[in-house]
Amino acid sequence: MSPVNESAERLLIEAAQKDPGRFAELYEQNFHRVYAYVARRVRDRSESQDLTAHVFQQALANLDKFKWRGAPFSAWLYRIAANAIADQARKRSRETGDDPVPATSQIAELDLEAVERRAQLFQAVDKLPEDQRRVIMMRFADEKSIRDIAGELGRSEGAVKQLQFRGLESLRARLSEK
Amino acid sequence: MAERLIIDQLDDAVAEILAGRAPDLTNSDPVVAMLAEMAVDLRGLPTEAFRAQLRQQLGRREEMSSPAQERKAQTVRGLWAHLVFSNASAAMDFYKKAFGATETMRLTEPGGKIGHAEMKIGEATISLSDEYPDYGSLSPQTIGGSPIKLHLEVVDVDEFARVAVAAGATITRPIQDQFYGDRAGQLLDPFGYTWAISTHIKDVPVDELQQKVEEWATQEAEKKSKKGRREGFHSVTPYLTVRKAPELVDFVKSAFGATELFRTTGSAGGLHCEVKIGESMVMIGGGEGIQEWPTAIHLYVPDVDAAYQRALDAGATSLATPTDQEYGERSAAVQDSTGNHWYIATTFTPLKEIDQDLHTVTVYFHPVGAARMIEFLDQAFGAKEVMRHQSDEGYIYHAKVRLGDSIVEMGEAHDQWQSMPTAIYLYVEDVDAVYEQALQAGAVSVVPPADQPYGDRNAWVKDPFENIWYIATTVA
Repeated sequence: MSPVNESAERLLIEAAQKDPGRFAELYEQNFHRVYAYVARRVRDRSESQDLTAHVFQQALANLDKFKWRGAPFSAWLYRIAANAIADQARKRSRETGDDPVPATSQIAELDLEAVERRAQLFQAVDKLPEDQRRVIMMRFADEKSIRDIAGELGRSEGAVKQLQFRGLESLRARLSEK
Repeated sequence: MAERLIIDQLDDAVAEILAGRAPDLTNSDPVVAMLAEMAVDLRGLPTEAFRAQLRQQLGRREEMSSPAQERKAQTVRGLWAHLVFSNASAAMDFYKKAFGATETMRLTEPGGKIGHAEMKIGEATISLSDEYPDYGSLSPQTIGGSPIKLHLEVVDVDEFARVAVAAGATITRPIQDQFYGDRAGQLLDPFGYTWAISTHIKDVPVDELQQKVEEWATQEAEKKSKKGRREGFHSVTPYLTVRKAPELVDFVKSAFGATELFRTTGSAGGLHCEVKIGESMVMIGGGEGIQEWPTAIHLYVPDVDAAYQRALDAGATSLATPTDQEYGERSAAVQDSTGNHWYIATTFTPLKEIDQDLHTVTVYFHPVGAARMIEFLDQAFGAKEVMRHQSDEGYIYHAKVRLGDSIVEMGEAHDQWQSMPTAIYLYVEDVDAVYEQALQAGAVSVVPPADQPYGDRNAWVKDPFENIWYIATTVA
């Protein structure tokens, strides 16, 4: 995180602490990171969504307790996420009698890099040209078939596959720029 | 396979990835293999719907501001002031002129009666209506005042007040800088509503505010306790009554640095003089042929040795030479030529630290039956015992009793310290009530309550210990 970004984030946090209405900006900036973090530990989509929602709700409720110590805001969110994931694993192990999965709080640095890369990928989707973005979202987020997408968009399946190809290509190009 | 279109190859791989399987890329174009890697990472891409839904959810929580307030049913959306008038239309005209209000809505009955109207005063909105007694809507004019104060925070309180007053409002509290960091005052409108108006000047921390409030409460209590007292007087003022009154005045001046503030001919034809010693007043009066009421006075002086010497030089006789007392004073005692006892003392520590209720001058009684006298003072004047030092048998060596803002001291008569009936000028709030009370407690009336030409209403009683009490309140 560059010093410029760091101080901007700090200002944003302070603003949100005074006015919770400003939390929306922190949410937008960190949504993909948290989601990517959770999705890496949890495969199931609805579980990922529940956990992501939980992390932001906790963050909002406890924002006044957040103290700036130089670490990025996302590190705090990751810790909330790690605790939530561990809690859920413990809960599940009690229900099933299985051993809980190892505590997830010690997620390796390498892992965080992968999370960050994935968050950037998710974010990059937002910036795709609109026709590519729609296809990528429908295919990967909504998990629709090419045929369904073609039907919904009123285009040929070939055209949709073409957009999917170009979308993935654009994403790769964008990420390799960084 | 290799002949297949690259976009189809990629879609096959994507379909496998989305199904949670590893795609077979052995015969694929290298570009497809590269893009499939992206596709693996894109699996689980969050949906727009979820992201938007969560954003909305968090927004709702923000409105509630804290998770503890999630009980939706109790969420309050606003607070509105609804004002009722005997003539709402006139009130609306007034608020337009006085407060720069604008009318945003008016619902009138065919007869012109206003059932509901709304006005904006700057950023604030009020609603108003005429009176509807059947519905419990009554105006301050009908009720005889309003217990509610409306508070307008304005940009320039002085200018706001000026315009409001020009339009017919009355200032009921002047616009002043207030301790809580606002410049503020209070207006009464012609319809009976009170408007506090303020402009914020500076932030004051809450703990500082609390302290200021306590200081204010103390001052108010002091003000109240001074009610009915002449300026500069405490509740208890000794009235030293002797035949050679001018001689006594000279003595207190030269021995104790008293300042003469007032001298006149008293009601009985003798001298009436008021002197100040320290922050206490002492009345001196009398003349030839008048019954004497010499007094024992506990007097704090800056330097007891010097005062003792000056007193002797001025004709007093020594009762006790200056001595350090174990209770923290250096004290001495003299008797002046007119018979008063002066127990003079200098404290090693500031007087306020020893006893914040003690004044420079404190009357000291030597009654026969100190315990009974304390009881009498309580019943007659509502005095409160604050200290008592006594033997196992109940013999009181020293006691302090509060009378209004003053303390009187006493010790059982013994040896050379014998009973010395004294005259006291006692300021109270209600002369007549205290006079009655004193008589019931066993005092004898000398002069019943009467207004005096010098502005006090007073009465004289003699207590069972032969002391004279002039019970007084300042009327003028």
